[in-house]
Amino acid sequence: MKARKAMALAMTAAMVGGLMTVPVMAEDNAELLPGGGSNIIYCITPSTSNPFFNTEQVIAKEKAEELGYEVKCASHDDDAATQLELFEAAINDGAAAIICDNAGADASIEAVQKAYDAGIPTFLIDREINQSGLAVAQIVADNAQGAAAIAEVWVEAMNYEGKYAELLGLESDTNCQVRSDNYHSVIDEYEDLEMVAQQSANWDQTEAYEKTEAILQSNPEITGIICGNDTMACGAVQACLDAGRNDIKIIGLDGSDEANAYIKSGDMVGTALQQIALITEMAVEQADAYLKGTAPEEEKQLVPCVAITADNTDCLNAFVYTEPEAK
Amino acid sequence: MNNKKSNNNQLLMTLLKGRTFIVLVLLVIFFTIVKGTTFLSASTLTMVAKHVALYGILALGMTFVIITGGIDLSVGSVVGLVGMLAGGMIQEGITLKFAGVTLYFSVPVIIITMLVVGCIIGAVNGLIVTKLGVAPFIATLGTMYICRGFANLRSNGATFSDIKGYDGLGNTGFKILGSNIAGIPTGVYIFAVLAIISVIILKKLPFGWYVLAVGGNEKSARLSGIKADKIKIIVYMISGFCAAWVGMINTAQLSAAHPASGDGWEMNAIAATVLGGTSMSGGSGTIIGTVVGAFVIGVINDGMTMCGVSEFWQKVIRGLVIILAVVIDQTQRNLQAKMALQARNENK
Repeated sequence: MKARKAMALAMTAAMVGGLMTVPVMAEDNAELLPGGGSNIIYCITPSTSNPFFNTEQVIAKEKAEELGYEVKCASHDDDAATQLELFEAAINDGAAAIICDNAGADASIEAVQKAYDAGIPTFLIDREINQSGLAVAQIVADNAQGAAAIAEVWVEAMNYEGKYAELLGLESDTNCQVRSDNYHSVIDEYEDLEMVAQQSANWDQTEAYEKTEAILQSNPEITGIICGNDTMACGAVQACLDAGRNDIKIIGLDGSDEANAYIKSGDMVGTALQQIALITEMAVEQADAYLKGTAPEEEKQLVPCVAITADNTDCLNAFVYTEPEAK
Repeated sequence: MNNKKSNNNQLLMTLLKGRTFIVLVLLVIFFTIVKGTTFLSASTLTMVAKHVALYGILALGMTFVIITGGIDLSVGSVVGLVGMLAGGMIQEGITLKFAGVTLYFSVPVIIITMLVVGCIIGAVNGLIVTKLGVAPFIATLGTMYICRGFANLRSNGATFSDIKGYDGLGNTGFKILGSNIAGIPTGVYIFAVLAIISVIILKKLPFGWYVLAVGGNEKSARLSGIKADKIKIIVYMISGFCAAWVGMINTAQLSAAHPASGDGWEMNAIAATVLGGTSMSGGSGTIIGTVVGAFVIGVINDGMTMCGVSEFWQKVIRGLVIILAVVIDQTQRNLQAKMALQARNENK
């Protein structure tokens, strides 16, 4: 165990050292995790009933197969216990690497630790864990920057004044707080923007629809709604449309095709795209490089979000953003 | 029974019998005080009714099932599955690979198909429970997972969004299920009609008596010639039928079908049924009670949202109300038994 800890420390040190943009080569440090022996990459994500996570699995499969790996996908349904079982299955299967969108920042440490102990490198995407040195990489979208960026757009659309409501996601979820805090870091700068209602709709569309209706009843004066994700934003848009309130400025965060359709039709102001397709591709490429002997320079990597508005709505398709010039 | 001594008990009984309704009135008064008259406005009440309709309809079917002593955990998943199937039929039609054609259906055909789907799932539930002898809790837990799985498989997890139909194909108009007719949401009409039909079935038709008899004492029901298995299969079909309506209304309201829709709604339906005084051990229950129970949950949900109460407290309060309701229910039953005993003693 002591040797393991020493190795973990060495790796952490290496990653900090890696800030100096020199690729950290395997030969230079303690040995890299060898992988479980097979040619299989496991991709473990939350339920694919959310297109966002579906994209993770689809892209991981495409990219890894292109690089000559076999890919097995599984969903942990945001249950840390299920996730641990899946990790154990992957370990028994001799997985070469695990790519994971985890089931909770603290609850997932145990699973990643197990893979680490078994010599299998884990690459975390989309969500972080609260411990460094266990996963080879933690590649996440910059939620803070994304929320702030789309909040800027929204504030302008609101013409810097008016009352608004906020639909939060699942309040026990770190992302929910990060997004809300960064919305407010921008919005609270403007004194004339006043939040009159704040409710959790648990990331859910029907719940967002019903809560929006209730809020419109008690606070009909609102002219804007900020939502923690696109699923809730779509529910809010539909409730406003049904109530004949097309004056309400709504934003979300994710960059889903459904939200994009509402942005195109002018019913929604914008969303911030988490470039999950890019993130997943990076994870697979880094896993491939790692297994061939090159560790990524840094463990924690932030990928910026792109604000999607009526101006660039055509560049977005299935979480893939194509630069306007490239089109 | 009309003895003087039991007059006090009589009054208490009346109060207890109407308890859910009293709770409802108290809640409305409470939220009116806190929220001002906005809460009593026609538009707020319409909104509450619209939200209540969704799990209220589920609760109607659930009431029949629970009266027979069963339970139907699959309804939430049926909501999701029916939503996805309906959304798919409108957006993509049904492609017949061997003939190389894609068929699109008009909205009435889609509605009827979905109701049939709901009934079929219910029939499967009923058959597993009666013919294979699986406990209702387990049987419907199984079909709950199966239906949720198929809902996801239908689109591989994706959402059918912007469900409008195509003018050229003549399959527009599905949205009517999720919009208003003469200022009142369509779901509320459907809820009202289904509730009235349910009352008639349970109170006036022999079938209703059979349902109560099977739940009360299955053995004696069988001995008196009631086909208990057939009754049980039909109640699960009613539950599936109701769930299919909810699936369509929810999809129409959102103009989108999401495979995770309806997740956990069976619990709301069970809560409304229990709040309404239906006994989980079967044999007794009323539709009116269930409707009032559904409204209690609806008023709590929307009232607390309008007052800005946090989601976490909403859950705590919902739980407390359910437990309280069952405790009162027990008290009423004990009192009823005591009074019956008293009456018998006095008649001697």
